[in-house]
Amino acid sequence: MGWNVLGALSLPCMFPWPVCGGDGCFLPHPSFPQQPRGSSFPSPRRALQARGCRVPSGGLRQVAGAIACSSRETDMGEVRKGWQRLTPPSRPGAGQDVGRSCILVSIGGKNVMLDCGMHMGFNDDRRFPDFSYITRNGRLTDFLDCVIISHFHLDHCGALPYFSEMVGYDGPIYMTHPTQAICPILLEDYRKIAVDKKGEANFFTSQMIKDCMKKVVAVHLHQTVQVDDELEIKAYYAGHVLGAAMFQIKVGSESVVYTGDYNMTPDRHLGAAWIDKCRPNLLITESTYATTIRDSKRCRERDFLKKVHEAVERGGKVLIPVFALGRAQELCILLETFWERMNLKAPIYFSTGLTEKANHYYKLFITWTNQKIRKTFVQRNMFEFKHIKAFDRAFADNPGPMVVFATPGMLHAGQSLQIFRKWAGNEKNMVIMPGYCVQGTVGHKILSGQRKLEMEGRQVLEVKMQVEYMSFSAHADAKGIMQLVGQAEPENVLLVHGEAKKMEFLKQKIEQEFRVNCYMPANGETVTLPTSPSIPVGISLGLLKREMAQGLLPDAKKPRLLHGTLIMKDSNFRLVSSEQALKELGLAEHQLRFTCRVHLHDPRKEQETALRVYSHLKSVLKDHCVQHLPDGSVTVESILIQAAAHSEDPGTKVLLVSWTYQDEELGSYLTSLLKKGLPQGAT
Amino acid sequence: MDPECSQLLPALCAVLADPRQPVADDTCLEKLLDWFKTIADAGSSLLLLQENPCLVTLLCPVLKPQDLSPRVLAFLLRLAGILAAQEDCFQHLQQGDLLPRLFGEAGPLGGAAWTAPTVRSGWIQGLCSLTQHPSALCFLAHSGAVDTIFSLQGDSSLFVASAAGQLLVHILGLSMQAPAEGHPSLQPAHWPACAQKIVGHIEESLRATATPQVTQALNVLTTMFSHCHDPWTQVLWVHLSPLVACLLEKDPVPAAHSLVDLLLSVARSPVLSSSSCGLWDTLAQTLSRLRASQAGPLALGILKLQECPKALRAQAFAVLLQPLTCVLEATTQAPGLPGSSGPGLQCGVAAIGPVASSEACAGRGGDPTDGELPLAWPPGSVGGTADAPLTAGMLLPSKAACVGLLCQTLAHLELLQPLPQRPSPWPWAPLLSAAVTILRLCNGSATPTSDTGTHLCAFLAGCVRVQRAALDFLGTLSQGTGPQELVTQVFAILLEYLTSPDSSPTVLKKAFQATLQWLQSSPKPSGGGDLEPHAQLFLRELLPVLPKRLCSPCWDVRDSGLEFLTQTVRRWGGQAGFRHALLASEVPELTEQLLRDPESYVRASAVAAMGQLSSRGLHIIPASPGHPGAQQKSLLEELLHILSTDSEGFPRRAVMQVFTQWLRDSHADVAADTEHFVARVLRVASQDLDWEVRAQGLELALVFLEQTLGQPSSSCPYAMTPPAAAPPSLVAQALQPFCRVQLFDFAFRALFDCDRPVAQKSCDLLLFLRAKTASYSDQQGSSSGPDVASLEAALQRWQAGDQGQPLGDLEPEAVVAVLRSLDLEGLRGALAESSDHAEQSPLSLLQDMLATAGILGENEADCY
Repeated sequence: MGWNVLGALSLPCMFPWPVCGGDGCFLPHPSFPQQPRGSSFPSPRRALQARGCRVPSGGLRQVAGAIACSSRETDMGEVRKGWQRLTPPSRPGAGQDVGRSCILVSIGGKNVMLDCGMHMGFNDDRRFPDFSYITRNGRLTDFLDCVIISHFHLDHCGALPYFSEMVGYDGPIYMTHPTQAICPILLEDYRKIAVDKKGEANFFTSQMIKDCMKKVVAVHLHQTVQVDDELEIKAYYAGHVLGAAMFQIKVGSESVVYTGDYNMTPDRHLGAAWIDKCRPNLLITESTYATTIRDSKRCRERDFLKKVHEAVERGGKVLIPVFALGRAQELCILLETFWERMNLKAPIYFSTGLTEKANHYYKLFITWTNQKIRKTFVQRNMFEFKHIKAFDRAFADNPGPMVVFATPGMLHAGQSLQIFRKWAGNEKNMVIMPGYCVQGTVGHKILSGQRKLEMEGRQVLEVKMQVEYMSFSAHADAKGIMQLVGQAEPENVLLVHGEAKKMEFLKQKIEQEFRVNCYMPANGETVTLPTSPSIPVGISLGLLKREMAQGLLPDAKKPRLLHGTLIMKDSNFRLVSSEQALKELGLAEHQLRFTCRVHLHDPRKEQETALRVYSHLKSVLKDHCVQHLPDGSVTVESILIQAAAHSEDPGTKVLLVSWTYQDEELGSYLTSLLKKGLPQGAT
Repeated sequence: MDPECSQLLPALCAVLADPRQPVADDTCLEKLLDWFKTIADAGSSLLLLQENPCLVTLLCPVLKPQDLSPRVLAFLLRLAGILAAQEDCFQHLQQGDLLPRLFGEAGPLGGAAWTAPTVRSGWIQGLCSLTQHPSALCFLAHSGAVDTIFSLQGDSSLFVASAAGQLLVHILGLSMQAPAEGHPSLQPAHWPACAQKIVGHIEESLRATATPQVTQALNVLTTMFSHCHDPWTQVLWVHLSPLVACLLEKDPVPAAHSLVDLLLSVARSPVLSSSSCGLWDTLAQTLSRLRASQAGPLALGILKLQECPKALRAQAFAVLLQPLTCVLEATTQAPGLPGSSGPGLQCGVAAIGPVASSEACAGRGGDPTDGELPLAWPPGSVGGTADAPLTAGMLLPSKAACVGLLCQTLAHLELLQPLPQRPSPWPWAPLLSAAVTILRLCNGSATPTSDTGTHLCAFLAGCVRVQRAALDFLGTLSQGTGPQELVTQVFAILLEYLTSPDSSPTVLKKAFQATLQWLQSSPKPSGGGDLEPHAQLFLRELLPVLPKRLCSPCWDVRDSGLEFLTQTVRRWGGQAGFRHALLASEVPELTEQLLRDPESYVRASAVAAMGQLSSRGLHIIPASPGHPGAQQKSLLEELLHILSTDSEGFPRRAVMQVFTQWLRDSHADVAADTEHFVARVLRVASQDLDWEVRAQGLELALVFLEQTLGQPSSSCPYAMTPPAAAPPSLVAQALQPFCRVQLFDFAFRALFDCDRPVAQKSCDLLLFLRAKTASYSDQQGSSSGPDVASLEAALQRWQAGDQGQPLGDLEPEAVVAVLRSLDLEGLRGALAESSDHAEQSPLSLLQDMLATAGILGENEADCY
């Protein structure tokens, strides 16, 4: 008995359903490397100026829609990416999309959902991912081992209360401490806007947000969190927004890294993303700027400050619609520093009382900010703004210049819209949109150049104020993505959050440079990757001693072939000698012999024929033990040869040859030798 | 169609048809389709095409699909399907040979565009919309589309594959509707060709050796039996059931999950519930063939059926209970040592024997005389030891399998228990015993002596997932009764979890919830009054534990503790025993401290808890330690401080809720000087940045109005109405307090609040007020004075968006006059509309798409 093969092990990873979305801070993606930096293309600022500033719709983060399935080319299975609401029989869709990041990973028998985002562009149930694709596998809580949220933007966490409190997921949700703190604020902000605008009854409530947050388990950076005995996760710094993290998911020797959104260059308040050489089986990376080499952020910042300064100098009012927390704080630091340096007196306001809240969280999570902020924190907290004051609604009517940060960021409700309506008619004023706006919002309209807006009650609002678009999004560009792939050294890469054509370019680049497979699934497609998991096997002492007795000491650098019997018991593997295996299993050894008949033309008696065979073999096989036994049979090692008379032809003898499978080579050789006949002289 | 939209449509069609013009994202195209669907549903699609020939022109470029982007191509396919859903429009499009070129071989089907999942999805959806009439069926038959749909069932895109299955069901249903006048043929061989083809495909798939194909067929059948209840479906089931039964002979059973779904959908179908279909036998066979984790959902489904043979129900219930049986048996197997296991486990088994008394097992909701399941625990599953190795083996293969199966079982039983069709009598006692045992295994307090029990202990020790599921189930079991000894054990294990430092925050939350459920269901003593002695004893033991939880470093634990406290005080705050125990504990003091918690959620819960404690007279203001004579700030002041200064909305909203409740209940602090209280609260609330706080401020104002002027008059036409209106002087006098608390300033300003719900609330309030003062204003006639003019001017300013100064002192006469002149009904109608109706209108969509399309190209080129 030799090897006991237990069957091929193939543990697939499956990646269904990511979709991506805009968190409100995107620029269009130029083709990479269409133009080198410093080429003759105008800067975004100049380009926007020249056209009276219109937002490019290509600037929003779009998911690859019409992407050919990679499985056909690679025979690696399918790719399923992004899901949409599918209420029979209508409304499927496998196209590109905005929002609703949601990826399901099956790894080593564990199911993990990565992000649970919402779609800002819809007001009906299409705004949330269609979880019925998971619920058809049984109860959500039974099927999913955990949910991981990469950061607090709503396109990554907006559907969470719906998922946990309305659809019924009752398992653990993992996110970093800052995300846990800020996430409910944004969810609450969004809920308030949704209810305010539409009076929605069928929507998650404040209590639901709280109950959802109670299911959250907060993690620290680089802390290995054991979800259960087999599944572990680890967070890495991702930049992008406060608390954003990349997550490594590991089951046994298999692992996946999900980047979420990340930024490989530090900005005013955050550091650069970093990951160790964890060599995952798969890296799922965002590719918002798949083909973009971004210009210096300093340049965009200078443009922004110049614009604001010019407007204030001419006595105008500047409105900057922002979302509650995130990019707004970066812009605040920027303006605060500029105001201090230039000794400007025009007031800056931040609406909705979020300034204190932001300060609180940035102070609390100071270790998540960049080095500069951490250093200066001892002397001065960068988030204790001297020039930025809380806004009161009555201030909007005050004469003279001012700068106001107001929510929400797309000018679709609340205070920012109210202020916009007041100030829109004056050409001295300015609105700066620092992020992407969905269709239908006032923000979207003014960025697409519309100047006469129909408001409620058929009122027409004429927009005379200056409209600017300045993206401050913090995503890794093509160079950054390549850098991260180089850092993590994955075996495979999967691109999400990008536009098909541009992702294709990056895919080729990754494949060429890193010699790894790169996938870019379309919405609704699944990728299955075969992996080679290493399974720990215990080796019996007896077997090891036997091997060592042969003079071969174990050497970690030189893998060796070790023969034995693999026993699986209680989910453990052990390699033992075949004798031990037989003993342990209480089995008797069976012997397997091959047999063959060879016909010889020989009219002599059987005993004589046997003797002739013996003589012949003795002369040919000098190194082997050839014996002639008293019963007339001949043996060569384990091979047994007997001569018998032919039943019909007395001139022919039949040689019965049999051998064990261990001596198969010799047995075959002997058979072929005997088939050639005996030499005439042999006696 | 709106004429303005009609004007813009040609330009948009031109943009969409032009491959050089990149269009807006998919969201816009999706919304555009929504709009076309609304128009088509509301009228004639043919007319729409005739009035807007640009739509036909738009569909024509499909002749060269390679020129179009996949998303536009998918859009056109879906649009064509929506339009062709009406037969006359379908014929119109057919005349132009448009449909074959879109959906036939000549279309995108064979081309490069087909590789895009979005195009395949558009093709399927287009066909699904189109297949609404017999002409469509003929078209499908001739175009060979059905074969393509078959192949798309295995598509790489989840959406396409799923939609393909649904489309097959739709086509089958429609083709069988055509000859529906007569009784359906007993032989599918006599069915329409299209139906025969689909049924043949399903048969072939069911016979296939590849599991994905079997799954596809089962899913199609599940969808069909779930949605179509025509008589022919019975014929189909009779025809196909042997093939389905064949699946059960395979080892392992392929596509078990889909098979369970199918069998349950068949069992639920009103036309298929007769026993002649052999369905019950198949279900019974399936229950015995599937693995425990696969059989659980089937067992639950069977038990939820309205009508089902008793034997099958008993079998299903036994399957469902099997894991718990295993747990109980494993934890009590102590050969030769009957007393060595924990006392709780012993008790559990004592109660689950096959001859367990109906008194112990019948719950409140159960009917012991029903006789459906005469034994508390289904026969054969508990009591004997013959099944023990089998059931134990079911739980023991691995920790993951054990945990998964137990969680699933507990969740299934939790779902089943409240249903009227649950097995009767419901075995409360054994289930309680099992839940308690599992919780003990999880926290290590069980000491089983058998090997299986030891294994279970190792698997379940510290397992949060099982703890959560068991506590949920334990909470649900509070609806029934068990032997007092078991109830004592329940309280004991709950106390253990609430006390244990090892309990995770999520487990603690569940433990609090379960505790509350058990306390609420605890029977009241016959004499009324206080809590049942056991519950009272438990609460006394719990109250010293609560402070530890209120001091937990985890915010969620502190919050869950406060939520629990609020509920218990609301329920038992008036009972002497509870009051005494609570006042003797540190709980009230700690709760007050939590008003200053760093977490806003906790602050909000502390506000609610303090509000409740104060309402029940359980908040005693302690004397300041430094100055024995001086008292600390009153709770009212403390809450007002939170309302004015807290940076988060949750605590401020919680304060408003407490204040409104205090006003309703005439809380002592409020009743002392209600006017002063209302004035102070409204002054702060009206300035709040959170619209929900402002809205709640108006709610408080409304309560004040109602208390002063009386409840709103009943809308019942038969209700008695007071014959005479109050004299003007009295009304003016009645309005004076509102003027003094500056209620009108807040309400009028809120009428033009930028947040719609605030304006709506204000509108309701003012309408109520106007109704109350109608008689007065009738008698006074139109009033015009300087006050009225200044108020009207202020209203105009506010409507224009100016905030301006407060109104100052108003005279009631001016208020009444302005109330009369305001079109409050009109305003209420306008506010009732969603505030984004303008931006979500089709016109807005067309304008946005056109505006964006014009600039896309430029931006693409010149960024970086």
